[in-house]
Amino acid sequence: MKDIKRDKPDPNKYMNPYLAGILLGIVIIAAFFFSGEGLGGSGAYKDMVKASVVKVAPEYAADASYFEEAAKAELSPMKSWLVFEVLGMVLGGVVSGAFAGRLKLKLEHSPNITSRTRIIFAILGGIFFGVGSQLGRGCTSGAGLSGMAVMSLSGFIAAGAIFGGGYLFAYFFRKLWI
Amino acid sequence: MAPIFEFTSEWNLLAALVIGFAFGWVLERAGFSTSRKLAGVFYGYDFVVIKVFFTAAVTAALGLFLLNQMGLLYFDEVWMPNTFLLPTIVGGVIMGIGFIMGGFCPGTSVPAAAIGKIDAMLFIGGMVIGIYFYSFTYEWIWEDLRNSTNLGKVKMGELLGIGEGLAIFVFIVIALGTFWLVDTIKKKFKIEDVNY
Amino acid sequence: MNEEIIISGRNLPYIDPVLNIWHWQIPLYLFVGGLAAALIFFSAYFFIRGRGDELKTSVQIAPILAPFVIVIGLIALLLDLRHPAYFWQLYTTIRLDSPMSWGAWTLAAIMPLSVIWPLTFLKEIKEYFSESGKRVKGLIQWIEDIINAIKPLKLSIEWFTKYRYQLAWVNAILAIILGVYTGILLSAFNARPLWNTSILGPLFLVSGLSTGAAVIMWMSRSKKERLIFSRIDLLLIAIELFFIIHLFMGFLASGAVQIEAAQLFLGGDYTAIFWAGVVMVGLVIPAILETMELYGYHIPISIPALLILIGGLLFRFIMVEAGQITRYLY
Repeated sequence: MKDIKRDKPDPNKYMNPYLAGILLGIVIIAAFFFSGEGLGGSGAYKDMVKASVVKVAPEYAADASYFEEAAKAELSPMKSWLVFEVLGMVLGGVVSGAFAGRLKLKLEHSPNITSRTRIIFAILGGIFFGVGSQLGRGCTSGAGLSGMAVMSLSGFIAAGAIFGGGYLFAYFFRKLWI
Repeated sequence: MAPIFEFTSEWNLLAALVIGFAFGWVLERAGFSTSRKLAGVFYGYDFVVIKVFFTAAVTAALGLFLLNQMGLLYFDEVWMPNTFLLPTIVGGVIMGIGFIMGGFCPGTSVPAAAIGKIDAMLFIGGMVIGIYFYSFTYEWIWEDLRNSTNLGKVKMGELLGIGEGLAIFVFIVIALGTFWLVDTIKKKFKIEDVNY
Repeated sequence: MNEEIIISGRNLPYIDPVLNIWHWQIPLYLFVGGLAAALIFFSAYFFIRGRGDELKTSVQIAPILAPFVIVIGLIALLLDLRHPAYFWQLYTTIRLDSPMSWGAWTLAAIMPLSVIWPLTFLKEIKEYFSESGKRVKGLIQWIEDIINAIKPLKLSIEWFTKYRYQLAWVNAILAIILGVYTGILLSAFNARPLWNTSILGPLFLVSGLSTGAAVIMWMSRSKKERLIFSRIDLLLIAIELFFIIHLFMGFLASGAVQIEAAQLFLGGDYTAIFWAGVVMVGLVIPAILETMELYGYHIPISIPALLILIGGLLFRFIMVEAGQITRYLY
């Protein structure tokens, strides 16, 4: 993993977006069909956070309303559907990246900003997404995509709010990207 | 019939692994492991996110609807979110800010981190910090908001009073319209590609 | 007062109804034991085959890790003992029918040899690290200085260097004993149906060898050597999968207790973690990646290597944990 050089990937290496969309749709259908679950991205981290707090401070967890349920269930982070799904995503990403020759350790950012800026905003963005996904009961895939798949109002609102919020604030962060 | 696996069964976890594998694969293939490609949607230089996202939602909605019509899957037996109006909007906007700052969403950050994107790993780290922050301040700040304005399980078809099938048809038309729109926007405003 | 009725007729609280006195130390020990055995074995084997110059990393460099790995294992073992201060009592007896005794003596023999072996290659190691950082070079120089300063030490290293071929044979045999022993240790427990199978020994040996091969290919700088070890690893993974299938087929064809033990992995509590963690993450995905590497795709070797190590560690944790649940008595 020593080449951290940046080169322009061939855009044709990425799949046609409509084909990718249809495949992704089929994956969602499979998730509902086999497990009765929607796909999710943030839920796994929530499960792990809950489990870690229950493990480290069981008394606090039993008392706090957020952890109450987890404390009672004695849930192990390794026994959660979403954790296994995310584990699968890691493997799927690695294998796909291997086929496309994209396995490279690198920090990606616009040439106009420094790595430092990118690092700070990546972490900040993560923090916002962490909080937002908990408040909104799921992230882009968990609340938005899966919600839309079952034609739930909630999914459309979530997707609208996420992209709407993005467009609303895009102007302020344009230096980060273009 | 569906869901095939009982929720608590161990086989269900293995199904999760396989489904996650496919999910991660498609996201990586579609180019969602690149934050600059993802952020393009907000600046008009790359609409791949909108295209993949809407195509996936339409395909899944149509597929699940058909499975339901064929009696293979009942919506009562699968995951269906309650609609919490206010927290979803507030949470969504917060996520939108996170999206534009971090360039990933939780789902896309996973395959991105898997193929070695350091920014994605940091994004995941930030997300865990955010969830810890949320967890510990839950009772003070979030609890009331999170549980407010519960509308129950609302489906688009019922809400609009046009039935499920027609609602999906409208959704498909809107999606196709959006695809046409974004391509037109890109052409019309001559937005240049950004190298990444 | 609560009275308990002991139906089984036995009252051994550490054995019945659940033996749960082995925690993280034992699986960790089994893992590092297998890893050290593999590192020493590959080194000795390829030296004997006369491929020392061709496969530099495996013969000369990787065995440096072995003594450190063994020490980690010994610390884990010591922590596991109820009375660590009495560990020496293992060395007051030799019992040919006890795998514990075998293991203790093998470790005692292999530990000094694993230190001596890389010392006989000090010149080559120095050359290999000639482009490395100051600290690494300083450390090697420091070791060399010590050896040069103490005459008897220098002479004995020279003596070992002269008889390196014989030493390699001793190492290879001891490494095999060590590797097999990590599996036999568990299968010697007659009271635990999951462990009490003859496949466990070879399975642990192969799995240990595969973790060793993973470490070597991770460390190696030569493409040729990496490819050789990735091929070895692929072969070992195939054998491992075969043994795992065999293991379950054997269980399912046995009595009710064995079937119940197998059910832990076929629908029971350990199903998901075993098939996902050990089989998928630890075997199938690295196998796919290594196959792709052989077909010319560019794969950072650290990924399959790391996955194999994780899988091997997880495998031992699961086997030790699950094995303590299975039992004959009801």
